[in-house]
Amino acid sequence: MKETENIFLTLINQHAAIIHKISKMYMNDAEEQRDLFQEMVLQLLKAYPSFKGNSKFTTWMYRVCVNTALIYLKKDRRKVDKTPFDIHTDVIDVNENEGKEEKLTYLYAAVQELNEIEKALIFLFLENQSHREIAENLGISEGNARVKLNRTKEKLQFIIKKNGYEF
Amino acid sequence: MNFDDLKKEWNAETTEGSNISSDMLKIKQSHTPIDKIRAKMKHEFFYQLAFLVFMVFIPFIAEFSVALNQLYFMTYAIICGFTAYYFLKFYRFYKNSYDMSMDTRKNILWFYYEMKLNIELYKALTYIIVFIIVGFMSAYFLIEKATVFAKILTRLSIVYILLNCFITVLIIGLITELWAWYCYGKYLKQVKKVVDELDYE
Repeated sequence: MKETENIFLTLINQHAAIIHKISKMYMNDAEEQRDLFQEMVLQLLKAYPSFKGNSKFTTWMYRVCVNTALIYLKKDRRKVDKTPFDIHTDVIDVNENEGKEEKLTYLYAAVQELNEIEKALIFLFLENQSHREIAENLGISEGNARVKLNRTKEKLQFIIKKNGYEF
Repeated sequence: MNFDDLKKEWNAETTEGSNISSDMLKIKQSHTPIDKIRAKMKHEFFYQLAFLVFMVFIPFIAEFSVALNQLYFMTYAIICGFTAYYFLKFYRFYKNSYDMSMDTRKNILWFYYEMKLNIELYKALTYIIVFIIVGFMSAYFLIEKATVFAKILTRLSIVYILLNCFITVLIIGLITELWAWYCYGKYLKQVKKVVDELDYE
């Protein structure tokens, strides 16, 4: 059990950026990002025994993380569980990066105005997934994935422009 | 807007310091809608169990007649039977694990229908128990308060009595629906929203 956990930890630490980026896309608030991050790690751990290595580890991770983010319920802040743990996650505030990675800062701010599926589409697109891979991950047709992605990109451009930025 | 440049920056984004420690793996409480519904149903199970235990003492407190006592325990056995049947189903729902590595459509639809099915089961159990209790209450008035009940009946028209029964059924239905919606509806609504977003073309 301990050995499986260690292998799992090594693997997800190698690809922690996936979890990190999804939590920033789906949640605006730093504390909520942290909660979603934890939830994705938990769901990955629960689903790990079902990973048979038939696909790449990252492909499997994309699915579990996107699915978790889509149905995740924000915690009731009045009743947050007090589970003690030491979290070493660098959850970055949207404004924190200003000057460093301006484009990404605007991107993270703009995606907050997209719906849950649109966020998934943009995330998978930015992760260099092809239309076919996006379609397979979301369980829709390739044509539908293409149409939805194009619409979402247009919407995103419009939001970024509306927010006073263009690149 | 150049998405290729954006992609480059996206892929170059560093997440230094993002280390997942083994402590994080100790967290067991999930926050998916299905886990929330399961947790609430678990609580309700204990309330229901306490209610069933309390029901055993009602005949002794109310001092029922022998005939009514027999009827009461028959009603009690039926309620216990239905509760056991439904809670066995809820238990299977509680223990049934889910697979987050399915494609999004399959995953979301699985969540949606699993939740919907169990909320409907929950409503069915509530209807059954409430109607059995209403049936018993009617029997109580007919047996224990026969003279008072007969007097009331002679003063009321049959239309009025039927209308009252109809309104009672409607009120019970409305309360059950509202209660189920209040407890579980918001979770179902959230998942339904994602299903609709996925289906929208």
